[in-house]
Amino acid sequence: MVDVRYYDIRCVRGETTVIDIDNGVVESAGTSFFDKAVIRVLGPKGWGFLTRDHVEIDSKRELNALVEEAARLAAVTADEIDLADAPRGALPVPPLGEDPRDIDLEEKTRLLAGIEDAARVPGVVNTRARYTEGIDSVRFLDSSGNEYSYESVRSGFSVIAVASRNGVMQMGSERDHVITGFNLRGKQDLGRKAGEIAVSLLDAKLPKGGTHRAVLDPELAGVFTHEAVGHASEGDLIREGASVLGGRIGERIGCEGLVIVDDPTLHEFGFMPVDAEGVAVRRTEIIRDGILTSYLHNRETLAAVGNGIAGHARAEHGAPPIVRMSNTFIENGDATYDEIISECMDGILLIGSRGGQVDPGRGVFQFNAEYGYLIEGGEKTDMVRDVSLSGEILSTLHNIALIGNDRRMSPGYCGKGGQSVPVSDGAPHLLLENAVIGGRGE
Amino acid sequence: MIGEDLIDRILRDGEKLADEVEVFYARGQSVSADIKKGILGSAEESEAWSIAIRTIKDGRIGFSSTSDPDRWRECLQAALASGRLATPQQWGGLPKPADLVSTASSSDPNLVVSVEDAAGMVDDLLSGAAEHPVEVVGGGANLARSYLMVANTSGTLYGMDRTVAAVSLEAIREQSTGYEFDASPFRAEIDPGSVGEQAASLAARSVGGSDIKTGRYDVVLSPVAAASLIGQVLLPALSGRNVKAGRSFLADKIGEPVFDEHLSVYDDPFAPGLSSTAWDAEGTPTRRLVFVDQGVLQQFAYDLKTGYRYGEKSTGSAVRSEGDLPGIGFHNLFVDGPRTKEPGDERAVWIHDVVGAHTANPFSGDFSVEISNPFWIEGGDLVEPIRTAMFAGNVFEMLREIGGLGKDTRRVGRLTIPSIRLNNQQIIGK
Repeated sequence: MVDVRYYDIRCVRGETTVIDIDNGVVESAGTSFFDKAVIRVLGPKGWGFLTRDHVEIDSKRELNALVEEAARLAAVTADEIDLADAPRGALPVPPLGEDPRDIDLEEKTRLLAGIEDAARVPGVVNTRARYTEGIDSVRFLDSSGNEYSYESVRSGFSVIAVASRNGVMQMGSERDHVITGFNLRGKQDLGRKAGEIAVSLLDAKLPKGGTHRAVLDPELAGVFTHEAVGHASEGDLIREGASVLGGRIGERIGCEGLVIVDDPTLHEFGFMPVDAEGVAVRRTEIIRDGILTSYLHNRETLAAVGNGIAGHARAEHGAPPIVRMSNTFIENGDATYDEIISECMDGILLIGSRGGQVDPGRGVFQFNAEYGYLIEGGEKTDMVRDVSLSGEILSTLHNIALIGNDRRMSPGYCGKGGQSVPVSDGAPHLLLENAVIGGRGE
Repeated sequence: MIGEDLIDRILRDGEKLADEVEVFYARGQSVSADIKKGILGSAEESEAWSIAIRTIKDGRIGFSSTSDPDRWRECLQAALASGRLATPQQWGGLPKPADLVSTASSSDPNLVVSVEDAAGMVDDLLSGAAEHPVEVVGGGANLARSYLMVANTSGTLYGMDRTVAAVSLEAIREQSTGYEFDASPFRAEIDPGSVGEQAASLAARSVGGSDIKTGRYDVVLSPVAAASLIGQVLLPALSGRNVKAGRSFLADKIGEPVFDEHLSVYDDPFAPGLSSTAWDAEGTPTRRLVFVDQGVLQQFAYDLKTGYRYGEKSTGSAVRSEGDLPGIGFHNLFVDGPRTKEPGDERAVWIHDVVGAHTANPFSGDFSVEISNPFWIEGGDLVEPIRTAMFAGNVFEMLREIGGLGKDTRRVGRLTIPSIRLNNQQIIGK
């Protein structure tokens, strides 16, 4: 196979268990099975990718046939791609506290129902809870003789409460996902919290849109880190010229003391023992003391762009690996929460996240808080709802005035290129100057 | 045994253990050619196979799916096990075979799933983009063909072919980006050169935008921007399940005027489209459904499960992606109305797309999003780019009074929608 410079194959075989309870009714509770393989071949120029169900990875004959087919795809490409060398090796997977496979579906359903029931506080008209468990058996091998296999177990849930009064409808939601074992015990408090937030939002004000001082809680500040910095530092976007952070290594893009990290080795929800192209994972400091220092890379983008390390390739099962974040966060500073609120003086405290989005080429981002509070005279006052924040990547990080000392990580899923992967992000409380707040209040 | 034989086997084996069994089978092949930095960077081919099994016993619905033909027995057992935990409900049976009178086509016999064709479409995208001084950063072409089948123990068995041809292109000039896309079941309907040209034109023309002050303005949402906001908020509110669960703003409003009298919303499964079909994902015959007629709310969408539970009839609105449970959805949803006045004639802020539509509150309809490629529009022409701004409002409120619908109707995913003028909206400048 003269036209094959490199190949690898990644098979993920596994089970997904989902339980869905809607207003006390068990809508579905069951397990489904998948077995997906992606074969990548680097031809004389670019990549050919082949996706198949159910491949016998140990059959040399089957593997050769697939590599040949993928090589035929690679032959139509024109991009000149090289792969950087990168250290190999896999970390041990953290031990499971309680293996979700040892617990029967009935008990899982009963525990989830308890969380869902707790959300039904007076004023709530609808509650819904969803348990998601994923068991993935991953096998990887490449033409350089590297071979890895590992198993990952994810377990977690989300709960949503909807409150309604006089035609006003508001929601509260909570979620918790981990990689360290079964995660449904003793979680009724989160259900109750979702319900209570939904009800209190019925009386919340609509904030006034415009430029304000804003305090971001650790969850929202984590989404801010992910949207405002994380995506724009992904090596594929840098290589394609699709990020405003391209060509800015060594430049000051944030305040002094600001450190932003992506670390796949942490045992948070974005953990991976080895990346999706068999490269050892390590911590990358994207921003150190306000200066842009590294991009996130896979082998291909490292060779093309430089500045950083490979080991940030990730893939949903059945999809080719692309550069992704894992556990992304702002390191602690030294301000206390009380100092941040009082320093804010007049502004808005934004809490929780309803998601966000970024256009890294234009350098603008938007994300939405679950709720917030006005800050008046250095004190937290009225609750506000339906509030969002937008900004420009290159200016926003200079506007961080205080960095708290209370970092917390939150689990979630991140979408890019049609693939969804588990991630976590986090930060301590942050005080932002000149934040553009979107709200409908007049 | 990986086709109809296997399905028959599952139905026969399952029938011994449950009252009813349903198998949803999907197989497909697709190719794509992806642009990296202005040239063809990678090519991909996928084959997928899946079966999804539902079992019904004493009103308890069980479900499982697999992409591994060898695990079908395990999958059937898992479906039965899941049914034992489900809350029992009123159930009137899976659909019996019907004479399907209407036909729906979402398959192009001339579409060939070939990587060479996809590569040719990429060439056309790139030559279209080359008409403007921009860098192409991404995009690509995709060709796919699939076969879907639903079969149950009442003797229903429907199968159909689907095809998709899709292209997209993302361009950048300085810090101004432009993204355009198109998708159709019919290869001949896709003009990659024009899609490439439009994406590049957006990026090129958006350079040097002027600031806009916070305030109230008349806006024109392009079909893409309108589809993003309406898709996130209006569609969930029309789902019978959300209505009955107390999660829809529109619940209890049937017969009431909810929108401007110039607006109608209907699902036409027989119109040509990506999801056109004569039977839904549970084998119920589909029909044309008018949800909002000249502003007045008429009905909601139901599948079998929600219908039986609440004493409503399935409206043939079950949809599903391969390997998933069916849920309530739409086949070809149209937002339509008389074109009385061109929305872009009088000066307004034209919004091509929005960033963050998925953060809109689906229950209240409130949203505040960043806007993409905004321009001042005058006399129907985009006269001057605007730098950047946010747009805040409420989807249900803004549809109560519109300032006109455009003649530029286009298909955006499962929605077919024109541009919409909305007067006196809130824009937050920077």
